[in-house]
Amino acid sequence: MDIKGRVMEIQHFSVNDGDGIRSTIFLAGCPLRCQWCANPEGFTPDNKIAWYKKTCVACGKCAEVCPMGIGIDLDLEREKCTACGKCADVCPTGSRKRMVTEMTADAVMQELEPNMSVFRQSGGGVTFSGGDPMQQAYFVRELSSRLYDLGIGLAVETEGYFDFDEVEDILEKMDLIFVDIKVLGPKRHRQFTGRDNDLILTNIKKMRRFTKKRIVVRIPVIEGVNADDFNIRRTAEFVKRHLPNASMELLPYHRLGEAKYEALGMDTPSEEFKTPPKERIEELKKLVIGAGVQTISFK
Amino acid sequence: MAITERVEKARQNYVNVKPHISYERAELWTESFMKTEGEPMCIRTAKAFYDTCDKMDVHIFDGELIVGATGEFRKCGILTPEFSWKWVDKEMDTFDKRPQDPYDMTDEQRDFVRKNIFPYWKGKSLEEHFLAQIPESSRDIVIDTGIVDSDSKWRQAVGEVTPDYQDVIFKLGWGGIVKKCEEKLSKLEGVTEEDLDRIDFYNSVIISAKALLRYAERYADEAERMASVETDPTRKEELIQISANCRRVPENPPETFYEAIQMLWFTQVGGVLNENPLSLNPGRFDQYMYPYYKKDKDAGMITEDKAQELIECLWLKYSEWVWTISANTADYFAGYNQFQNLTVGGRTREGLDATNDITYMALKATEEVKTHQPGLSVKIHPDCPEKFMSAVTELISKGTGFPAVHNDQAGYQMLINAGYEPEDARDWNNCGCVVPHFRKTGEWTAAVNLNFGSAIEFALNEGKQFLTDKKLGLDQQPAAEMKTYEDVEKAFLDQLGNLVKHSIIATITAQRLHEEMVPRPYLSATMEQCLEDGVDLSKGGAKYNVGPVITGIGLAVSANSLAAIKKLVFEDKVCDMKTMHDALAADWEGYEDLRALARAVPKYGNDDAYVDNIAIMISNYYYEEVHKYTDVNGSHFNPAFMGISNYIPAGRVCGATPDGRKATTPLSEGVSPFTGSDESTPIAAMRSAAKVNHDVYSGGTLLNMRLDQDLVSTKRGQANLGNLIRSYFQLGAFHVQFNTVSNEVLHAAQKKPDNYKDLLVRVAGYSTQFVNLSRTMQDAIIARNAHKNY
Repeated sequence: MDIKGRVMEIQHFSVNDGDGIRSTIFLAGCPLRCQWCANPEGFTPDNKIAWYKKTCVACGKCAEVCPMGIGIDLDLEREKCTACGKCADVCPTGSRKRMVTEMTADAVMQELEPNMSVFRQSGGGVTFSGGDPMQQAYFVRELSSRLYDLGIGLAVETEGYFDFDEVEDILEKMDLIFVDIKVLGPKRHRQFTGRDNDLILTNIKKMRRFTKKRIVVRIPVIEGVNADDFNIRRTAEFVKRHLPNASMELLPYHRLGEAKYEALGMDTPSEEFKTPPKERIEELKKLVIGAGVQTISFK
Repeated sequence: MAITERVEKARQNYVNVKPHISYERAELWTESFMKTEGEPMCIRTAKAFYDTCDKMDVHIFDGELIVGATGEFRKCGILTPEFSWKWVDKEMDTFDKRPQDPYDMTDEQRDFVRKNIFPYWKGKSLEEHFLAQIPESSRDIVIDTGIVDSDSKWRQAVGEVTPDYQDVIFKLGWGGIVKKCEEKLSKLEGVTEEDLDRIDFYNSVIISAKALLRYAERYADEAERMASVETDPTRKEELIQISANCRRVPENPPETFYEAIQMLWFTQVGGVLNENPLSLNPGRFDQYMYPYYKKDKDAGMITEDKAQELIECLWLKYSEWVWTISANTADYFAGYNQFQNLTVGGRTREGLDATNDITYMALKATEEVKTHQPGLSVKIHPDCPEKFMSAVTELISKGTGFPAVHNDQAGYQMLINAGYEPEDARDWNNCGCVVPHFRKTGEWTAAVNLNFGSAIEFALNEGKQFLTDKKLGLDQQPAAEMKTYEDVEKAFLDQLGNLVKHSIIATITAQRLHEEMVPRPYLSATMEQCLEDGVDLSKGGAKYNVGPVITGIGLAVSANSLAAIKKLVFEDKVCDMKTMHDALAADWEGYEDLRALARAVPKYGNDDAYVDNIAIMISNYYYEEVHKYTDVNGSHFNPAFMGISNYIPAGRVCGATPDGRKATTPLSEGVSPFTGSDESTPIAAMRSAAKVNHDVYSGGTLLNMRLDQDLVSTKRGQANLGNLIRSYFQLGAFHVQFNTVSNEVLHAAQKKPDNYKDLLVRVAGYSTQFVNLSRTMQDAIIARNAHKNY
């Protein structure tokens, strides 16, 4: 039996998730609940049906096929929805959409194949993202070992919230590891993500053993959460101390995920979370550099 | 599925038994020729083939599923005295003792052929005519000298054809070919010379086709007879099936995979009996066999395992007959190699990826039976499936030297440059070792081997060979009088150009004789255009007539030599030209310091522009020189830098060269670096080789590399190799092949050959059993530099 995983999306021609031109595989399921998350469909591994009201023409085809008898307005009856996806199959405008699909490793490989020449030409490869891809470690292990055997470059974007011993072999296969430190202070971390960050920080310390790998510690910089000098400097110092060869990337927060919240019938992230201005990001970068850590940007 | 017991038994026989010479074909051919004197040559040839098929003993060997033998021995070589017999007469007493490609032959056999066969051919063979006609001014240079070597084209048949299974044989059947010729004949009255020629041609094809039908009929009868007395019920069934196959094919187009494969072999064996050919290529096996496989598979008539077994039986058939050749030819084409090139992968005529199930089964067959034949080639195009590339690099990692890896686009471009239509160019297959070819083509793909090392010594030694002091080159001022590097370069190019000229003379002399003396009615039957126009293959009847290929040997040695002179004499001024000349004349004895300096000068194969630019200058000049001549059909001659084992005999006649090479040691092959001098990375070696403008060498280019086994022992290592190959091809290069067997294993095989009888190694453009190579050849392979890092 071919191993199956739950995939939100395979985004081809990704240019910000590592070197060269890449395909990023977004895998569903995440141990954190970051309040600003741009991919809320990836909180759990289950499928969800999105309903994009703006493009919906209310033709009623979805209602005709729904085995649960849900009408056009999905939001009114979401609790009944089993995410079977029949509505998505018939929707002529793509306004009803599956957000998570079960795929076999073979199917993923098949979808990646046409991109391989581009990976090779550009020095790119495949990036596992999420959710947190380590939630589906068995699937990442299978795909990364197949891709490794083909000589394709590999990267992972993880929250760092995993059992290190269980995923160490996967991390070993990666050329590049992105790991987030959302907030360094444990209380604020719990407040905004629903989890303590001890495990994350411990795992980051353990990554020191990967002396030959490139590791990038990322901060999603959000005004109102973690964009203060103190947090950024402390985080950089932490990185300097425990992963002296790692670099850091400061990613300014964006609100592009909002439409998904609406389509899934969820409350959108708080208006308190704000995108820091460019100049502010530059100032923070200087703090990082001042702490002795290189910054990097895959823009 | 593992290899079946039947295949394993045949394989053991193939590995352990020395080939035996059979004179049966020669005897029947000769008897027939005695009766047909005065008739047109093509009719005589066809009748000789008919009489041979009608009378030679039928042999169905133990457990065979595909039948059709070339003689009474399972591993068998035949004699073709109409081409040459003198060398056989001279050499056959030591056939079993010669170092390269020995054959068994009994004293009774020798007596028989001396008494009953050779006397008839005295004065009548192609060889004797050639020797009588070669102009005096070329004789000393082109006859068995190792300078300009073309003996495989006047002691042997041409071969070098890819029968057209797609559009002729499988489409019409040999019965259909007869019908087609009869229709053509019914419209001819013979009132012009051309018409009379055509009538003779069509009659010769009809007789040849009926000969093959007669051959098959006799196998059908024999299988039936054997079935009637067979006690093992399984074998009895098999024999009944064999008989049924032989009654349907080759007369009719095949309907099943099994029939198609039997027909393929019948067609091949007919070619073998006709001319003991070099490079009678199966061509794009996966393309024309797949439809039969798919049809049978869909209908539940065949399993994958059964098809695999049949393919492996065919591989053994391709390997069991041997190309009977002179000791000289065996030096150039070492390893009992028949050069039947079978090509898989690439693109369809429409330009889509062409891989299918048969593609993979062909790779698997070579891995399982480890036969040196067919010569398995793959074509890699930029969008080739990952699965295919993985299968290819995995097979390379097994160390068989197979497959030879070719750049589909470079092959296409080579054919476009030779004047092919795009669809035909896309459909190219390999001929021999690394010649891009196409089934509707008449071409001499290995016409001449030309020794660049000789041009170096003629330039530096007043036109004389160092080893014999014979003057075989152009008049040349003494080296000491050369004032500049440009003088040296010019002297070399003049001498090279002169050798090209003699190559052309030898080839045209041979071509003229082939047209007149050795028509090819049987193989013409496999060519659409020959059938359409009524013109024999030997007279330019094919759709494409590509000019003969002149292969340059020693590109790296000559570039390294000029670089050494340029640097040591004219830049660093560590010695003068006289000293250099004297050092070479002394084979470096007493000049060890100078030799050390010479060896330290940059060498081709390390991506160093200093010497690579000289190699490119030489290769471009060589293209211009060769291409400016046209052959008997008005086609341009084509240059090549392919391999074969020619670099060893070519080196044997060359004195020391300024690159530090000692006298009589091997030169360099194809576009490969000089043995062991590619000291950088394989990437650097490839980058040097890719600088040659591959697409104009329509006769093919060859790069040989050795990789350390550890580099390709993992999947990831194999994938890296795949990427290395892709990168080489991206630079425009045509072919590369790899040896991955360690020196430890090769040394062990030299010590205990019996334990390594099935060890295949890459020679140059082809693989063969290591233990079947002469000691010199084995040492030459061991001396190649094995890259340990990419």
